[in-house]
Amino acid sequence: MNAPVKTPEERQAELQGMGDARLRKEDARFIQGKGQYCDDIKLPGMLHMDIVRSPIAHGRIKNIKKEEALAIPGVHAVLTADDLKPLNLHWMPTLAGDVAAVLADEKVHFQMQEVAIVIADDRYIAADAVEAVEVEYEELPVVMDPYGALEDDAPVLREDLAGKDEGAHGPREHHNHIFTWEAGDKEAADDVFASAPVTVSQHMHYPRVHPCPLETCGCVASFDPIKGELTTWMTSQAPHVVRTVVSMLSGVPESKVRIISPDIGGGFGNKVGVYPGYVCAIVSSIVLGKPVKWSEDRIENISSTAFARDYHMDGHLAATEDGKILGLKVDVLADHGAFDACADPTKFPAGLFHICSGSYDISAAHCSVKGVYTNKAPGGVAYRCSFRVTEAVYLIERMVDVLAQKLDMDKADIRRKNLIRKDQFPYTSPFGFEYDSGDYHTALEKVLNAVDYKDLRAEQEEKRNDPNSPTLMGIGLVTFTEVVGAGPTKMCDILGVGMFDSCEIRIHPTGSAIARMGTISQGQGHQTTYAQIIASELGIPSEVIQVEEGDTSTAPYGLGTYGSRSTPVAGAAIAMAARKIHAKAKKIAAHLLEVSEADLDWEIDRFKVRGNEDQVKTMADIAFAAYQQPPEGLEPGLEAVHYYDPPNFTYPFGIYFCVVDIDKGTGESSIRRFYALDDCGTRINPMIIDGQIHGGLTEGFAVAMGQQMPFDEQGNLLGNTLMDYFLPTAVETPAWETDYTVTPSPHHPIGAKGVAESPHVGSIPTFTSAVVDAFAHLGVTHIDMPHTSYRIWKKLKEEGVQL
Amino acid sequence: MEVKLDKRYELGVSSTKAWTILSDLEAIASCMPGASLGERLGDNAYKGSVKVKVGPATAQFGGEVAILAMDESTRSMTLKGKGADKGGSSASMELDAIIEDHDNGDVTLVGNAVVIVNGKFAQFGGRMMVQVSDVILNQFVDNFIAKARALDGPDTSAESSSTASQSGESSKELDGLGIFWALCKNWFRGLFGKNSAD
Repeated sequence: MNAPVKTPEERQAELQGMGDARLRKEDARFIQGKGQYCDDIKLPGMLHMDIVRSPIAHGRIKNIKKEEALAIPGVHAVLTADDLKPLNLHWMPTLAGDVAAVLADEKVHFQMQEVAIVIADDRYIAADAVEAVEVEYEELPVVMDPYGALEDDAPVLREDLAGKDEGAHGPREHHNHIFTWEAGDKEAADDVFASAPVTVSQHMHYPRVHPCPLETCGCVASFDPIKGELTTWMTSQAPHVVRTVVSMLSGVPESKVRIISPDIGGGFGNKVGVYPGYVCAIVSSIVLGKPVKWSEDRIENISSTAFARDYHMDGHLAATEDGKILGLKVDVLADHGAFDACADPTKFPAGLFHICSGSYDISAAHCSVKGVYTNKAPGGVAYRCSFRVTEAVYLIERMVDVLAQKLDMDKADIRRKNLIRKDQFPYTSPFGFEYDSGDYHTALEKVLNAVDYKDLRAEQEEKRNDPNSPTLMGIGLVTFTEVVGAGPTKMCDILGVGMFDSCEIRIHPTGSAIARMGTISQGQGHQTTYAQIIASELGIPSEVIQVEEGDTSTAPYGLGTYGSRSTPVAGAAIAMAARKIHAKAKKIAAHLLEVSEADLDWEIDRFKVRGNEDQVKTMADIAFAAYQQPPEGLEPGLEAVHYYDPPNFTYPFGIYFCVVDIDKGTGESSIRRFYALDDCGTRINPMIIDGQIHGGLTEGFAVAMGQQMPFDEQGNLLGNTLMDYFLPTAVETPAWETDYTVTPSPHHPIGAKGVAESPHVGSIPTFTSAVVDAFAHLGVTHIDMPHTSYRIWKKLKEEGVQL
Repeated sequence: MEVKLDKRYELGVSSTKAWTILSDLEAIASCMPGASLGERLGDNAYKGSVKVKVGPATAQFGGEVAILAMDESTRSMTLKGKGADKGGSSASMELDAIIEDHDNGDVTLVGNAVVIVNGKFAQFGGRMMVQVSDVILNQFVDNFIAKARALDGPDTSAESSSTASQSGESSKELDGLGIFWALCKNWFRGLFGKNSAD
């Protein structure tokens, strides 16, 4: 007896394709503690590495004594910059065109800088040996303030750059200057400002923060001296690029270098770069011929691996008296720390900061970013955002609020007036970005209605007029646009490699499939969502599609996962590879059904002969036939590879709204409501999107309300443990309300734009907008982050707020 | 991390006795909890070390200490110490100390110190620097008074200080539990001593 015939709806549901809230395939192993992280890798004969770090922020190394450490039983080697010099590995190139010390060469430039490494039988012996290495320093004056760094008599930080007047991004004006980068039209912007009826200016600091992923950085390097092959398990968001870098640095042919990113416990930009620890572990393994493991502890992670932001920004807006924005000017002083190790596409030393005209139709704009060296750790990564987009969105959203205050306009009204209209897309921004699609006004009204904006404003007015109110009430509103999915290879590359991404799909004879990708999940759920794209494109159930990433020996070359590029770039590569397979499958189906391809229609999981609906071949039938009896002239097998070079970035957007209540007596704040509407184009898995948004909002909350890396004048980092550095738990985290609209990207094969970073980028200025709004009636236009209770309490006192 | 300490202690011993101790680096070192002097490097310079233990964390700062200036006529001296710990910390202190004779017979030890701490000790201990320094200095003064009193000769003050240790022996290591206890005491005192939030 035949099985009951399934309806198209049932067949569709079985696929669990795009739009299905399919449960994450990754979670089964994670919730059982069966994830396989770097530190879980244990190889026979494996040695352990630990790092001797500088206690001071700036100084000359006068002497390093290794003898005592080497005398400890179980210690194999102690290496310093002098040992790496003959291999020319004591310095390494950075992604930003600078060089960074692998181990401090004659000088230390920041506290906790790597000075020497110890290799020992186990981690305990290594840690003891680290304390036995005696380093003598001559202290030098410390430069912590980026403005002070540019004074004429400021100490010279980078003596290795003496005489180099030309940096990777143009001329260097001062011994601590790295680059000055400009975008937009200065003349046009100056003209607008000269004649504008209203102008406003605001200085703001986006503090230095750290992505602080739960899993710290680490690797296991294993060099096989017989085969000459190097295998390295590494916490990397970009394993293929690392393979290229490792091959270039070590001289081992790229074909004999294998980089494996196993399960990764969060990256958020922290795991994009190549750190001295990786290089030292690899060198040690090559020198000793044994596997070497390096795992950072939390203090090392926060202190020395890449930070984010530290932008000192001056924003200026020019407008008409009724609030139409005419021009934007921005000047930024960027504190890059000791080495310029900012992770950006090569041509963009300030990343995509020039998205700073935001969601607004502004005719003239100019921005200038100046990078400087200080005695802080290097970095400048995109912490859950596309390159420097968080800074840009913060700047423009703050400035629009400042302008609204100056004009005594409502912050929703001023946005209505200036948002790019739906009919203006594709819209070319004054900085030259071509926004692909958007419908900002619809989304804004949806949010304002959902939260009863007018009622909240009335309540706020009442509280402001009531001297007995125990709280100040603040309302935050942000209408942001992100630029993600880097990027078109004509504009974007990393170390000369274009920022395409790739996918290889193989359909097996029995109709299941494997897809291998150039990206690497760090929590995004690629194994789940990538399979859904293939399921929808090819009619193969998600459940039988394996997704593999992170092993450079099996996966096609890709630039990795950061900057919300997985779906915009790799997601497109999947669709395109699947479409190649689809085209071949159609030929096979036509052959099997003995009709012309033109007579076939595709329905969910099968080709049907038009006009004869019983004549069908499912993708499973076709897969078997591809290996058994392909049509003449067609090669056997059913697989495809696609390298996708996106024609443009994608531009997800969102409208975020927040109500905060501040205790007038204690400065404690409570997020009463946070409403986040996101438009990420086509939605692949609504459950995963919600999870991404919850995560991003929580990290945004962390940055806005508590995270900071405070330094004292001597360069000591005073917040590098989780006792000080704020990671919110369920206790502190507010409840999130999410919503969405769908405006597909016209240039993306499936219309998807990427989502994981929008909530981080969008929420941070929303919190600030709300906190400042609580003080707005007192004439306050801006308050720098983090909005901790203590800082808010100080503001309350400063403004003379009485309980 | 830089901390400035300005302290005055009533000694209850004669200024002559106090100066005898203050002008003798070895005597001062023996009053400093956890401190010891090593090899003599010059007239007024020694290698030295200070061991501080707070809970499970021990830091042993090894370095040099020297008297930069000494003036018997004003009974004042300047001392500089500098050292590093193998665990990744370094510290320096420049101290100006004067013995003041007052008309009413009181003798005061006035100390102004600038302490700079770098590395792990600053990162972990930064927020406790002032309190820990207070505790260390109190112990130092207790030892100082005891040592001065033990010298032959008359005291100006007939009463013995209630806080002074009766023994001339100094503590050779800062006691972690002691510091913790003193911190708790000071904290509670601060809590109840305050009138209201200002």
